[in-house]
Amino acid sequence: MRSVSVIGVGETRMGRFPDRSLRDLILEGGDKAIRDAGIGKKEIQALFMSNYNAQFFCGQGHVAPLACEVLGLGNIPALRVEGACASGGLAFRQAWIAVASGLYDVVLVGGVEKMTHQSTETVTEGLAGASDVELEAGLGATFPSLFAMIANRYFHEYGNVRDEMALCAVQNHENALLNPDAQLQKRITVEQVKQGFPVADPLTVFDCSLISDGSAFVVLAATEVAQAISGRRLVEVIGSGHAGDTLTLASKRSLTTFDATVHAAGQAYAMARLKPADIDFAEVHDCFTITQIINIEDLGFFAKGKGGLGVSQGRTAAKGSMPINLSGGLKAKGHPIGATGLSQIHEVVTQLRGEAGDRQTGNADIGLTHNIGGTAATCVVNIFRGR
Amino acid sequence: MKRRATLYSYSIVHSGTDAFKDKTPYLLAIVEENRRKSIARIEGYSDGIDVRVGMEVEFLAEAEDGAARYRFVQ
Repeated sequence: MRSVSVIGVGETRMGRFPDRSLRDLILEGGDKAIRDAGIGKKEIQALFMSNYNAQFFCGQGHVAPLACEVLGLGNIPALRVEGACASGGLAFRQAWIAVASGLYDVVLVGGVEKMTHQSTETVTEGLAGASDVELEAGLGATFPSLFAMIANRYFHEYGNVRDEMALCAVQNHENALLNPDAQLQKRITVEQVKQGFPVADPLTVFDCSLISDGSAFVVLAATEVAQAISGRRLVEVIGSGHAGDTLTLASKRSLTTFDATVHAAGQAYAMARLKPADIDFAEVHDCFTITQIINIEDLGFFAKGKGGLGVSQGRTAAKGSMPINLSGGLKAKGHPIGATGLSQIHEVVTQLRGEAGDRQTGNADIGLTHNIGGTAATCVVNIFRGR
Repeated sequence: MKRRATLYSYSIVHSGTDAFKDKTPYLLAIVEENRRKSIARIEGYSDGIDVRVGMEVEFLAEAEDGAARYRFVQ
């Protein structure tokens, strides 16, 4: 396996865009990434396209050739990768393997989702397809309710972290104030989170990530050719891991430790020869506030049961010792499913280049992305280093 | 003695898909019976009922779709 680096990133603003089509979102994000890399389109040898469910939300299948046409990439191989909310991280990892193996020198990875034109009930149904449709959704399980059961079990095993969960949302909203690509730029309070509509008790609407439209793209190149073709500061992929778990929540070994995260992170740390304490900052998959607390424990940043304490002590805030979700996360930046994993990489690369403007973190040499699908049935972890 | 299970975890759902919209609020749970966990609907929930992890529920019926239904122990 040879070294691979990110040479370009681009994304749309995340939000509600009733007048923007899938084509339009793809064009903006894709063009930005290619321009950012400073390469010609002819240098791109393959396209890996992440999309969760355009077939359901928009009636559009075959998203990879759509993106290829929109971006004018000709006859290169293009394929779609799907792993629910982890689709973006998964597409990135397949592209990384393809370059690391020596098959391609330069590839484009993209992700897109358009959801906000549908009613909340329809979006909920489309998302519920990432759980077991027969055993879970058929019984009335929605994603908020599955993660609410995770939260109640966490309270039982480790103590009530209701306030700390609310604080995750507050911190992510605070971070999003400084991200021009964020969907919500609005300060919220712990009380507001707790008093919100109880979507699935104990989760209120403020504990849930957003419904969003948007796209994000990344250009990957073999490090040995990257310096010759791109004038950008390279960001090297130094670790990557991918692991799975049962699709159904009830069949998992634990509801409060996501084994897929533990395994994927273990692979990524081993490859990078790093330990959790070596990571300077991370974008973690905060589909719900309880998920953020479990993730920062499973990634090894905090001991099991102590993630909430780390949040309440301010250690995960922008100026803390382990900044989490400087972009605003899925909670405030937004969660256009297929684009999410790539938007996380967009943020980490931007920080490692020192180009994050007002939200630039001081200590940015090594960053980590963590992306899960379903109730952590799929997990991808990547570790990046600025060069 | 009727079949009983314990609540491993639960959520009171206030916002569902179209198919469940008129059933809210409803109690969704993971129940544990003979060390086996499964997802289940607990019938008879109404606002104000005290629900706790570890409480016992009573097997009610196997619904047509194969999903087990339980109810609170009276």
